[in-house]
Amino acid sequence: MNSFNLHRAYSVARKEVMHLLRDPFTLALALGLPVVLVTFFGYAIDFEVRDITLAVADHDQGPAARRLKEVFSASGYFIPVEGGDRAIPLMDSGRAAAALFIEPGFSRTVRGGGRVSAQLVMDGSDNSKVTAVMGYLQGIQASAGKKLTGAASAPPLSVETRFLYNPELNSRWFTVPGLLSIIIGLLGILLTALTVAREWENGSMEMLLATPVRPLEIIAGKIAPYAALVLGGATLVYLAARLVFGVPFAGSHLLFVLACLLFVVASLAQGLFISVATRQQQVAMQLSLITGLLPSMLLSGFIFPVESMPVFFNYFTMLLPPRWFMEAVRGIFLRGAGLRELAVPFLALGALSFALVTLALKSFKTDLEPL
Amino acid sequence: MNPTLKAFIKKELVQTLRDTRMRALLFGAPLIQLTVFGFALSTEIKNLKLAVFRQPADMVAQRLEGDFFASGWFKRVEFEPGADPVEIIASGSADAVLVMPPGGLGRAAGRGEGKIQLLADASNATKARVVETYAKSIVAARAAKEYGTAAEPPVRLDVRVLYNPAMESSVFLVPGVMGMVICLITIILTAMSLTRERELGTFETIISAPLSDGEILLGKILPFILLGMAVFTLVMLAGWLLFGVPVRGPLWQLLLGAFIFVITTVSVGTSISTIAKNQQQAMLGGFMFLFPAILLSGIMFPVESMPRAIMGAAYLDPLLYFMRILRCVMLKGDVPYVFWANLGALALMAAFGAGLAYNRFKQTLN
Repeated sequence: MNSFNLHRAYSVARKEVMHLLRDPFTLALALGLPVVLVTFFGYAIDFEVRDITLAVADHDQGPAARRLKEVFSASGYFIPVEGGDRAIPLMDSGRAAAALFIEPGFSRTVRGGGRVSAQLVMDGSDNSKVTAVMGYLQGIQASAGKKLTGAASAPPLSVETRFLYNPELNSRWFTVPGLLSIIIGLLGILLTALTVAREWENGSMEMLLATPVRPLEIIAGKIAPYAALVLGGATLVYLAARLVFGVPFAGSHLLFVLACLLFVVASLAQGLFISVATRQQQVAMQLSLITGLLPSMLLSGFIFPVESMPVFFNYFTMLLPPRWFMEAVRGIFLRGAGLRELAVPFLALGALSFALVTLALKSFKTDLEPL
Repeated sequence: MNPTLKAFIKKELVQTLRDTRMRALLFGAPLIQLTVFGFALSTEIKNLKLAVFRQPADMVAQRLEGDFFASGWFKRVEFEPGADPVEIIASGSADAVLVMPPGGLGRAAGRGEGKIQLLADASNATKARVVETYAKSIVAARAAKEYGTAAEPPVRLDVRVLYNPAMESSVFLVPGVMGMVICLITIILTAMSLTRERELGTFETIISAPLSDGEILLGKILPFILLGMAVFTLVMLAGWLLFGVPVRGPLWQLLLGAFIFVITTVSVGTSISTIAKNQQQAMLGGFMFLFPAILLSGIMFPVESMPRAIMGAAYLDPLLYFMRILRCVMLKGDVPYVFWANLGALALMAAFGAGLAYNRFKQTLN
């Protein structure tokens, strides 16, 4: 009676499947939403910043200053406009995101073979632009040196970079696997977050508890159909990543499926745990969006690398399944990493899935006392 | 004001605030999120794992290596002698590998061939890009020290960052996190409340009250607008006290902007709840609004570099305008043009959202 009975778990699963089939909206959403969102945002998100309006305060008006402006516009990142004395007010009003100040005598110094400097002022109220522009400066400085002094005087020390696995630094190859992780994880939480709470609210849980079904069977029966559904959604995302965005897949498909499975189970269990612990749909929903949405975007390493976080928060992110899945998926897709390289993320994902299922199970009260 | 309406608003407030767990969620969650993200997130990428290959007797390379680890951006990765640089990256133990010329960097530089190989793991494109930027600036500084002014670049760009000269991460990020948190809490709060009443059947009781459709809607959304403003004030205070994020512009602009924004999100939440048939659909609807709203708001990715069609979609995002107001008033100061332009756009969306909510609401009532 106490042991796990596959048949009883299957009955719960079948009931859940019928629920799903009767609700085509949720069904379509679970299958279609991931691929739609990944495709849309795969196109939308680009870490490159282009066409930054650059207000130029040219107090030199000489040929070298003109060439410097050409260097900025030729880079493709900036659109220089004449700022005159209004360069800073233009930035204040948001009409320009950067300003370039060229002092009088700039061209004369260049002609005389001296070293020159110009001041670049950036709008620090928009961090995404500042970070990107900082990365372009070295290149612009180098090409300005070449263009203004003519002679290609090679510096005594220089860096030659080889970007492995993504030689062109294609943003899409990087964001699409990341988006997969965010969307699949969230969907998993959202799909199960209400299942148990709903049954408590409309009283069908009491009936379910009166049957011989054990909590573990309920949980297994509730996770299985949704896991299949979300894995279906993940497959569609995989196809979109390969066919629409041409993201290379260097690793093993088996490993990828295993990572997806572990991650999906962890997310579904997280939703289920919330549902079991709150017993109230409204609270369950709020908790799942709060613990799901922003942490999976901000603390998973999607944009902000976890290694840059203060030590405490770096450890804290280890409790979040998306962090590990993100690491595993990026490794499998681009680096072709195997189980040996990804042992830590896989172990962590496995441990977290197990812990979350156990938590859901432990908080599953079979008595009918109100909370 | 109609006394029934007043009672109605009071009921909604009491109902939401009565539940301890709801209170904790409503006020605790935004505070916790602001604190966690404010402290955890950093715009500066650090602790990059770096392995350096060089000859033991190569003094220039040794000093350069010292510069790399003294910069605070890199962490040293030890490796077996004779290891393959690519293999170190493939195994995931390093983000980047620096390979000095085998004959010694100083000698290579003397021949004009002082090229240092940098291998970067671009499976994380953000990190790879930053590694290159850091490496170039460290190498340039070392070259200037070793070879004097001759090695300095002929043209130098001095950079100054306005509004946040010390480039503090929290000053950059807290306004963005505030915007996201307010958006999240107001949407989910409203999206669920109406759907729940419909599911529970208490909605019929409300309809039978002696109030017009508009008044019922007002009674439903006004409490949430008040709650949203309370949460905003709380989060703003926390941003100021915990992170020292300034408010350089007038406070009323910030509050007015937040007020119009909250009207918009509460209307969106109400519209979602009139469309959804059950709470699960309301939740998925809320997610379908929040996810694009956050990604297209310009908080994480600049809107200007998105493809044209998607940029059009981004301009329909109320969070985008609210973010611009937040960033401008908090970090820049009083800039009437920016404030009124974005407030105008936001007001337009609020009006449209409220109209939509009213229409949908009337249909639900009848």
